[in-house]
Amino acid sequence: MLKATLRSFLAHKGRLLLSALAIVLSVAFVAGSLIFSDTVTRTFDRLFASTAADVTVEPKNDLKSQLPTGATETVPASLADRLAKVEGVAATHVDASVENAPVVDSANKSVGPTTGAPTIVTNWELTERSPVKLTSGHEPHGADEALLDADTADKKHLGVGDTLTVQAQPGSFRVRIVGIATFTTTNPGAALIFLDTPTAQTKLLGRPGLATSISVDAAKGVDDARLKQRVQAELGSGAYEVKTAEEQAKSSAESLGGFLDVIKYVMLGFAGIAVLVGIFLIVNTFSMLIAQRTRELGLLRALGADRRQVRRSVLTEALLLGLVGSTLGLAAGIGLAVGLIKLMTAFGMNLKSTEMVIGWPTPVAAYVVGVGVTYVAAYLPARRAAAVSPMAALSDAEVAGVGRPLRVRAVVGGVVGAAGAAALAGCAAATKTSTAASLLGLGVVLTLIATVIAGPLLVRPVIRVLGGAFPALFGPVGRMSQRNALRNPRRTGATAAALMVGLALVGGMSVASASMSKSFDQQIDKTLGADFVLQNANFVPFSHEVTDKIRATEGVGLVVRQRFTPVAIKLPDGKRVETTAAAYDPRLDDVAHITYAAGGTAAALGEGGIAMDVNFAKDHDVRIGSTIPVEFPAGRRTELTVGALTDQGGGGFGTQGGLVFGFGTIEKYVPGGQDSALYVNAAPGTSPEKLRPRLEKTLEPYPQVQVRDQADYKKLVHDQIAVLLYLVYALLGLAIVIAVLGVVNTLALSVVERTREIGLLRAIGLGRRQLRRMIRLESVVIAVFGAVLGLALGVVWGVCVQQVLALQGMKALAIPWTTIVAVVIGSAVVGIVAALLPALRASRMNVLTAIAHE
Amino acid sequence: MSTAAAEQIPGRAEGDGIAARARGLTKAYGSGETAVLALDSVDVDIARGRFTAVMGPSGSGKSTLMHCLAGLDTVSAGQVWLGDTEITGLKDRELTRLRRDRIGFMFQSFNLIPTLNAAENITLPMDIAGQKPDQKWLDQVIDTLGLRERLKHRPAQLSGGQQQRVACARALASRPELIFADEPTGNLDSRAGLEVLGFLREAVDELGQTVVMVTHDPGAAAHSDLVLFLADGRIVDEMERPSAEAVLERMKRFDTARVTFDGGREASGGAGPEGAGGSTAGAGTDGTAPPVGGPAHDGSGGTAPEHAPGDATPDKD
Repeated sequence: MLKATLRSFLAHKGRLLLSALAIVLSVAFVAGSLIFSDTVTRTFDRLFASTAADVTVEPKNDLKSQLPTGATETVPASLADRLAKVEGVAATHVDASVENAPVVDSANKSVGPTTGAPTIVTNWELTERSPVKLTSGHEPHGADEALLDADTADKKHLGVGDTLTVQAQPGSFRVRIVGIATFTTTNPGAALIFLDTPTAQTKLLGRPGLATSISVDAAKGVDDARLKQRVQAELGSGAYEVKTAEEQAKSSAESLGGFLDVIKYVMLGFAGIAVLVGIFLIVNTFSMLIAQRTRELGLLRALGADRRQVRRSVLTEALLLGLVGSTLGLAAGIGLAVGLIKLMTAFGMNLKSTEMVIGWPTPVAAYVVGVGVTYVAAYLPARRAAAVSPMAALSDAEVAGVGRPLRVRAVVGGVVGAAGAAALAGCAAATKTSTAASLLGLGVVLTLIATVIAGPLLVRPVIRVLGGAFPALFGPVGRMSQRNALRNPRRTGATAAALMVGLALVGGMSVASASMSKSFDQQIDKTLGADFVLQNANFVPFSHEVTDKIRATEGVGLVVRQRFTPVAIKLPDGKRVETTAAAYDPRLDDVAHITYAAGGTAAALGEGGIAMDVNFAKDHDVRIGSTIPVEFPAGRRTELTVGALTDQGGGGFGTQGGLVFGFGTIEKYVPGGQDSALYVNAAPGTSPEKLRPRLEKTLEPYPQVQVRDQADYKKLVHDQIAVLLYLVYALLGLAIVIAVLGVVNTLALSVVERTREIGLLRAIGLGRRQLRRMIRLESVVIAVFGAVLGLALGVVWGVCVQQVLALQGMKALAIPWTTIVAVVIGSAVVGIVAALLPALRASRMNVLTAIAHE
Repeated sequence: MSTAAAEQIPGRAEGDGIAARARGLTKAYGSGETAVLALDSVDVDIARGRFTAVMGPSGSGKSTLMHCLAGLDTVSAGQVWLGDTEITGLKDRELTRLRRDRIGFMFQSFNLIPTLNAAENITLPMDIAGQKPDQKWLDQVIDTLGLRERLKHRPAQLSGGQQQRVACARALASRPELIFADEPTGNLDSRAGLEVLGFLREAVDELGQTVVMVTHDPGAAAHSDLVLFLADGRIVDEMERPSAEAVLERMKRFDTARVTFDGGREASGGAGPEGAGGSTAGAGTDGTAPPVGGPAHDGSGGTAPEHAPGDATPDKD
């Protein structure tokens, strides 16, 4: 029996190859993402472990925010001397390092990386833990000397003697490059500028005697945890954060982890799509192989093979396929990881592919995914094979499965579909985000399953419509291709299902992102009243010099500053909420349109006042006049009185509660903060068109700050959403590649099955080109069927996603019809591509052999 | 050989009664020593407006002959004409059009496209060509074949005999110059088979069509005007106005010939059993075998129309 299995496996290798490709793709993405993230994690763990001091003392900071304040929290430098006397301390170092100071060259071009990695300006103190060494020039001495890292120097064509401007929070200053420092470890992609310690303290932190942290070296034989305890004992609890090297490395790795997680999840998303679509392909391939071999299987049964043996034979075949696919996929995954590592290098992160880490979970996951998926997908066809009766060997029966009624499918599909629809309706009607989201997930899964089950039932009605014009357009060729597609609804349905799944996801995501764009547009239209918004990329704050110079620019009227800070508030219902608050200058009404449910701008931004979103307030029993204890970074606290409640339709994204207070408050409790945005109106008598070039001129030395009017601002938002869309398109591409394999598979089999029919058609005068067109049209109709079903499902999902997000303020619904039409047209092209080989094969068939074919 | 055939063209052009003609038609499979001759320099004329049957034991080349005449198969040597058109040397596209526009086909089984209903199957060749069928003629064909009630049925809903009638209607629908029927009754029970043969007969007699039928059933051959006997790639005999018994008798002699003269020997003409192995039999049937490629229109070979039906007196013993 095993021999027969092997023979059959080898005999069908062509058809299995296509299924194997799907497995290879999914395994490759799983393995590639694991290898890549293992490699990156290992590299950075090593970097952080080697660069972290034995014990580090930092300012205490409990509040974390996605939006930086621009302020640098410090500790007294004198702590270094104090700690040097602690028992077990070998040495202490003062660190003065900031990440919020843009550095530009003499042509006002940014020196920092364009990838979002930080520009770090820090003090030069070479220890054995330093990640760099001086490779040319000399160490920096005095106020105007600096070192630059070699990678940045290389990339930006800078060298010893060039001048840089550091736009630090206390004020910009110029330095001359006197030496180049080269990374001895992996360069994580950051740009590094080194100053001597006094310069760093005064110019970066504002005055001597400050440090951003103190590094403590342990004496020989003193372990880090013990030393940490002693340092804590010396400093007393509360004011400072003390970390061992291990803790420090861990928190550094965590801050990097977010970025790595994104890559990992994207890759796993690809793997998921490949697995999902691949399952359909495998089920279909095995079903077809079995249909083709019905007589052979019947013969086996007639000769005495029992059901179990037949089933096992099919499953063994699947196992073999899974093993081959996983092995190839693992190899492809390694290649993918190498590619990703190379890509990272292009972004300035110097990973070495020779240091690639392949942990044991990688091959295990690869084989579990590859073999598991194949086995599971082949299980149903295997059962069907086992059910073949010995009589099948004798009868001249039709291909198995064609004639069986679809009643069971109709019932199961209907029930699951109804449940799914109910869940989706529930999510659209739900008022709480958490319930809505879980109902949405349930509904998506159920409706997907229902569509897959009921797909074959939809083949007839949908393809009748889709191909309805075919006879008129393409004559008998069109008529036959349409009917061929209808011939085996199960097969057509299963083939189209692979495409459907991918396109449903794409449809859903494109509706969601289009709605997001539209919602932002509406919000911008509704709220943004300023002529211009001046902003850094990624909401990173900028130096107050910028604000001063803008105010001094000719033709500038009103300037309203915006700052952000993380806060923790205690609410009347006893809840503590950590969020981000915004602060504005008083004349906010002139640059923004804010709808208030109670109170107004004056009360919101007045001294000791605060405003918040009306719904948030309701949820937490907040009323006008409530007193809210607010905690700022570095432990500063105050109480603010609620002066106004805003009704902005959800309060915007990300900033829970929509907290707003006056500029005075933030200046008082977050000293040294920087402005995140400036809302600028032209002075009376100056047109915005005239003002814009002047603003741009003023901002020349600050290349990181951009001038945007309302249209630019919308474009910025659209561009950010477009990144999400590109991901969607990449997923779509992968889904389509795999789905095409399925269509090729189905058509190839159909062509073989219809050999005699094709021979007859050729004999009575169907030309080769007409024959090819017939197969192409069938392919197109299958592909478009899958696309229509998928997009219909996707649009429904997208609408539900929007309904759920409407609770978060995404009020507008947009259905991107052009995208949808383009995808349908694209799927027709996909059909044509998939038909290329099968059509060629059919047209090359010898007429006589085809007629004589058994 | 080809020159000889070429010389025939003027003669044939006026001989308006020839629907198809082959000269020196040779078909070999394989090459070199292992080559098998399926057709060995066959000369044949198919008379217009008659019902010709091609008979012979299996492997005699009767299907190959039909395929070559119908432009389904390429020839190794020799020439084939359909009407005035030489079809040897035509490209696939031209052959396809020729089959579509000028030839009708009936096969033993799998004659119909399962996805199309009877009416669509009948007009398929014309639909492919983008031509409008002649409705009057079509109605006549459909009524003659008694398919009026079945037009909307799919092949799977039709009996074997009905399916063959639809195939017959399709072959007739475009009023082709020639209808080839390859064992049209092979898969039918005798009653349905008789029905189909009756229709083919009717097509010739009443509708003026030309039919060539390949068969191994003497009963079927008896419906034809003329039977050509093939053996080992040559036409070895012909029989006008055949009867089933006579054909059967003639066929039996092949079997005997096979036993007696196994190996094939030089023989004169094709009349006797020795004809089975002859190498120069050509189309000669009266024992006066013309040289290969020689004139075959002079009443001795083929099925020249000037033969009155009555004078078909085959050399049946």
